[in-house]
Amino acid sequence: MLLRYFIRRLLWMIPFLFVVSIVVFALIQAPPGDFLTTYVAKMAESNEGIDQATLERMREQYGLDRSLPVQYWKWISGLAVGDFGQSFEWNQSAWSVIKSRLPLTLVLMLSTFIFAWGVALPIGIYSAVRKYTVGDYVVTFFGFLGLATPNFLLALVVLYLGVRFFGVHMGGLFSDEYEGEPWSLAKVIDLYKHLWIGILVLGTAILASLIRIMRANLLDELSKPYVTTARAKGMAEWKLILKYPVRIALNPFISIIGIYFPALISGAVVTAVVLGYPTLGPLMLQSLLAQDMHLAGGILMIMCSLTVVGMLISDILLALLDPRVRYD
Amino acid sequence: MTLYWKMGALALSLGLVTTPTWAQDYNEAPALAEAVKAGKLPPVAERLPAKPEVITPVEQIGTYGGTIRRGLRGSSDHNNILRFLSPQGLTRWNPDFTEVVPNLAESWEVSDDASEYTFHLREGTKWSDGAPFTADDVLFFVNDLLTNADFYGSAPPARFVIEGQPMTAEKIDDYTVKLSFVAPYGQFLQELATPLAQEPVLWAKHYCSQFHPTYNSDVQSMVDAEGAADWADLFRRKCGDLEIPARWGNPDRPTLDPWVATDEAYTGDATRVVFERNPYFWQVDTEGNQLPYVDKVRWSVEQDAESLVLQVLAGEIDMQARHLDASKNIPVYYENQERGGYDILERLNSDANAMGFYLNLNEKDPELNKVFNSKDFRIALSLGINRDEIIDLVYLGQGEPFQIGARPGHALYNEQLGRQFTEYDPDRANELLDGLGLTERDAEGYRLLPDGKRLSFQVDVIPTLQVEWVDAMELVNEQWKALGIETTTNTVERTLYYERGDSNDFEMQVWNAPGGLDPTLSPRNVMAVHPQGSRFALQWAKWYLSGGKDGMEPSDSMKRRYDLFAEFKSEADLQKQLEIFEKIHQEAADAFEVFGVALPANKVGIKSRKLKNVPMSFPAAWMYPDPGPTLPQQYYFEK
Repeated sequence: MLLRYFIRRLLWMIPFLFVVSIVVFALIQAPPGDFLTTYVAKMAESNEGIDQATLERMREQYGLDRSLPVQYWKWISGLAVGDFGQSFEWNQSAWSVIKSRLPLTLVLMLSTFIFAWGVALPIGIYSAVRKYTVGDYVVTFFGFLGLATPNFLLALVVLYLGVRFFGVHMGGLFSDEYEGEPWSLAKVIDLYKHLWIGILVLGTAILASLIRIMRANLLDELSKPYVTTARAKGMAEWKLILKYPVRIALNPFISIIGIYFPALISGAVVTAVVLGYPTLGPLMLQSLLAQDMHLAGGILMIMCSLTVVGMLISDILLALLDPRVRYD
Repeated sequence: MTLYWKMGALALSLGLVTTPTWAQDYNEAPALAEAVKAGKLPPVAERLPAKPEVITPVEQIGTYGGTIRRGLRGSSDHNNILRFLSPQGLTRWNPDFTEVVPNLAESWEVSDDASEYTFHLREGTKWSDGAPFTADDVLFFVNDLLTNADFYGSAPPARFVIEGQPMTAEKIDDYTVKLSFVAPYGQFLQELATPLAQEPVLWAKHYCSQFHPTYNSDVQSMVDAEGAADWADLFRRKCGDLEIPARWGNPDRPTLDPWVATDEAYTGDATRVVFERNPYFWQVDTEGNQLPYVDKVRWSVEQDAESLVLQVLAGEIDMQARHLDASKNIPVYYENQERGGYDILERLNSDANAMGFYLNLNEKDPELNKVFNSKDFRIALSLGINRDEIIDLVYLGQGEPFQIGARPGHALYNEQLGRQFTEYDPDRANELLDGLGLTERDAEGYRLLPDGKRLSFQVDVIPTLQVEWVDAMELVNEQWKALGIETTTNTVERTLYYERGDSNDFEMQVWNAPGGLDPTLSPRNVMAVHPQGSRFALQWAKWYLSGGKDGMEPSDSMKRRYDLFAEFKSEADLQKQLEIFEKIHQEAADAFEVFGVALPANKVGIKSRKLKNVPMSFPAAWMYPDPGPTLPQQYYFEK
């Protein structure tokens, strides 16, 4: 049953991603000009002109002189067999640029995810069970503060404090001595010494709503008769809460994963730019600015796929957790 | 020659001269000495040329070791590397940007008509892999690439083409090569010193020829294996070219630079870029120590300029100016100097103006075109700008009212071009506008064009380049309103700005006006010669570049300047070149096409207090790709 559902959902991703690819291509082509006009603009800034014939030669080499449908077809037919095409800017294959950044992007996302859900769950339960107490107000206050502060600003503040009080720039993902070294336990520790800022900044942004969702759902359940009955029968309070109302209240908390996954990806772009993380976000931004079609398109497709996978994971988790959920 | 470039009041004395001394015993970095001992490297005397270039350090003889830490932006920042390593061409600029001095060419002779240049290379110079650098490498460029239609298409680099004919080369012996043109080319030595004419000595024949079909009949299999479009694409990926990031992406490419790429090269997936010393570098100091002193140069790859600023404050950058010169950051640098342990460098601004106004003289609208092409109208606009107010409010009191052309103190400084109509005189401006017959006004007090439309136009500004322009335009709009002229600020994205230029779809645009220290190398404001830069008359530039086939026919004054420019380019005598260029400036001053606000303030850079032999003041320009000509290979860390 579950397997069939899983396969059906996977198959549905194909037409969906196809539609996404059209949107992505159209969006990248939407701003005026192409890679070469942007290139000319950069050249002119450094006070250098480029002659028309050279431009035409490059335009032909990159296939930018063809019509848009032809350019799209060239891109999508390559993509279908796993060829992301060439990055115009770097003269290397787009995939070779993307692949080195993918693992760290996933590490950042999953770590943030675990952090946010792991912290929000106990706090949400606590603030529901102890509603309108000082503790509830305190966690709610900080939760909302995190929600209201733009990610990049929080990142800048943390970086500034680092320089101001510790005299170090805390951006990047590795210390100089570990950069370019093979993986080791020490390197992983070094990674998390840097990564916690990003996890914290990205995590706090979604923490508040997760806490509120958990709190509201649990409050609904806590006033239901079965809770009162169990309590009347003398069941231990924490055991009762964790075993029955929390399990039911968990459903929306899980299904929200699918919604927050894309938010996590897009929120990470600006934050990663500020923090200087070598993840996909900043690469996407710069390739979009340069109108480096194949690179930008490849990254956007990967990000969309991640979002779709995120949705799928949340649906499957929900089905596993709650027997009432049907597979159709 | 000194006279030609003399900058008078701006002249710097960096005390950095090269003298041919004869050092017999050479020293080398400890790591290289060990490699020699282990038999991995030939001895230093064999790695150096027979007569290496001797560099006199700025302050004192340095010691070996250390890593210079810098920062790169993630995208299109290849010139960050180029400017620090310096374009190692046949010639280079002396540190004060006043004359051309020998670099890879030890000396040269120029024929009387300046059409033939005989260069003597330093005998025994080696590429970074140890292979000899000879006249054959120069010939490889000239014979196999310059004239190769697959490589350059129909357009070989303009700096090597005179009267439509590309340069030719003749090998006199292994270390002597003669480069010839069909007509005189008086500017050639200067061009070779810019960052844009390094090709003759960029490509090592013994390595790069494997990607060339003339030398490798099976190049196609390499093209296929690499997934490149053709051999030219493959060649550029492996051996680079000017102005593309791939130049710094292949650690196997032999170079003549002080530092060479390592496995952490500049590619799209780089998170850090590391260059290490070239064991075959061909310069020594006055005591025979092989340069460079510093072991490595390391660039962190940042996405955000602010993040670089924070690194400066934390003392994690050893020398940098690029991406750091936003004026709003300057107070922050001063405040944190002690904490960060750095000094602040002064970089002499090479621009003529902080904010130049380019009224489109090729305007499509016939009514506006007529108005824009009237000199009195432009004078009125200039007189209507309250420059002191803008300098005080927007530029924090830095700068003095100025128009365009060479900066005061430069040999080519033309007071009329620089200072005319900079006074604030709205009454006279209004009189001039009345004199043009623009006397009718509408209910809001704006002047009307003869066809009854309001005299109104847009000014395109790119806020991401200089946010000050947007603030200054607020003031200028008000000041011009007092003349009865309506202008609106149109903030545009950079690409759109150029698109509007290409399609001749703009009325006025703002740009900083280059050519203050390098008027002959950046003449785009006094002559419509630059297809993207001469924004006051892009259609004239098109006409000029296409030989009259394209664009619009320029004014008589501009045609006279084109003739003078042709004369200038072919003139061999430096004194005469100077006189010709003065005439060009005078024509431009009389035509009064481009005007501006103020001389821009100098730029800043920072350097670690431990880093020595760095001049505290040097020019900042693209044509003088700072800090390259100050010779970073002689910087060193104090122990």
